[in-house]
Amino acid sequence: MPAQLTDSKETRIYLDHGATSWPKPPSVIDAVANAMTTYGANPGRGAYKFALDTTRAIHTARSDIAAFLGVADTHDLVFQPGCTQAMNLVLAGLFAPGDRVVACSMEHNAVARPLNMLTSRGVEVVIVDADESGVVDADEIEAAVSASPTRAVVCQHAGNVTGAIQPIPDLADVAHAHGALLLVDGAQAGGHLPVDLESLGVDAWACSGHKGLLGPQGIGVLYLAPSCDPVELVTGGSGGGSSEDPLQPTVRPDRYEAGTPNTPGILGLAAAVRFLTEHAQELRANEETLTHRLHQGVLGIEGFSVLGPALGEPRVPIVAVLHERISADRLAFALDRRWGIAARAGLHCAPWAHRTLGTAEFGALRFGLGYANTASDVDELLGALAVLANELA
Amino acid sequence: MSARALRTFAVLGFASTHDALDAEAALRANDIEVVPIPAPKSIGSLCGIALRVVPEQLERVVACLGAAGVSIAANCEIEDV
Repeated sequence: MPAQLTDSKETRIYLDHGATSWPKPPSVIDAVANAMTTYGANPGRGAYKFALDTTRAIHTARSDIAAFLGVADTHDLVFQPGCTQAMNLVLAGLFAPGDRVVACSMEHNAVARPLNMLTSRGVEVVIVDADESGVVDADEIEAAVSASPTRAVVCQHAGNVTGAIQPIPDLADVAHAHGALLLVDGAQAGGHLPVDLESLGVDAWACSGHKGLLGPQGIGVLYLAPSCDPVELVTGGSGGGSSEDPLQPTVRPDRYEAGTPNTPGILGLAAAVRFLTEHAQELRANEETLTHRLHQGVLGIEGFSVLGPALGEPRVPIVAVLHERISADRLAFALDRRWGIAARAGLHCAPWAHRTLGTAEFGALRFGLGYANTASDVDELLGALAVLANELA
Repeated sequence: MSARALRTFAVLGFASTHDALDAEAALRANDIEVVPIPAPKSIGSLCGIALRVVPEQLERVVACLGAAGVSIAANCEIEDV
């Protein structure tokens, strides 16, 4: 009996869209390649034609992405290397010792770790627990915010463990009623949910470009409402403004985009957003159908339970499961090696969330559905889980 | 290539490249001829890209950018061919 099980030599069914989307629409791949040929100059600096063409391509990309996300003033949409960097910019750039912040207990480490660091620097961080489905209660947030002057509320838009969708408009009302900002990690929402940032009422919203937005890795976006003015995290060359100025220009977006932009990432993301502008409705309908099919199917296999909102309740296309006797890591390994099904076991960079759900000791097995997944993918997964439940339990 | 005579142009500077391109797009949308150029020192070391227009169009340019909500940070005249 070999130690290595190799029934499936390659990933055939990709179910880790919560980590990153794959495959990408062909237009995204073409745009990335095109950025390295047609738009290969350094944008925003030189005024020669090649550079101007590249600069204009990024300008158009920003406009298209802003339109997709409901941002009226394109100055307020900033390109960042990703959601983690964007949330670090917002959190480190806003808070000073003595400030008070209220955060949801479901936050990913992209938020939890910066907040832990700020705590060590004298920022007071108050954590409000979500309920057993992973949803935070706006009334509980209000109780925490009203207890003492609070600079900001920090909350995810949707959960990377439960798929739960947080009540962002209500949280915006609560925060603003008490003179606080609402800062949102939108990593799991972008693309999967319709997002109109200005009507949501958020003061800052960050999102990875490579998850539900279907863009390349290494690019993300940060929306900063005029009410939210963090100190920049990185300073350096900005193209615009005066090079003789010893400090970073304060005009947006230049203030937050020091250094040469990631042109392939930006143009790839813009192509992805154009694709979504055309197809998001059908993609979301497919995700909702498949998520329900998977959730319902898992509940039908003895020994399994599903984290997060109950069957039929709203969620983004994430279904994390537990088996009462089989650990998540064993399931993930067997699915990969025997069926070629990619899924992620563990804590998903979200120890706060797993602590809230009571799953911090062993973690869970997460399936993230998305672009190009089909009903047969879900059915094959359910068949495999049934086999494993029979063999390993 | 035949020699060209010097002419006077109006040059507009902006706070950022982003604003310069907003301005270029607004002017082109209104059929106003505009040429992006490297920002001349005489404009005050502003954005790396400035916009050159013919002086006769300056009043129309300013009105167009005002209507589009694009701020002009500085302007000057240059002699060029």
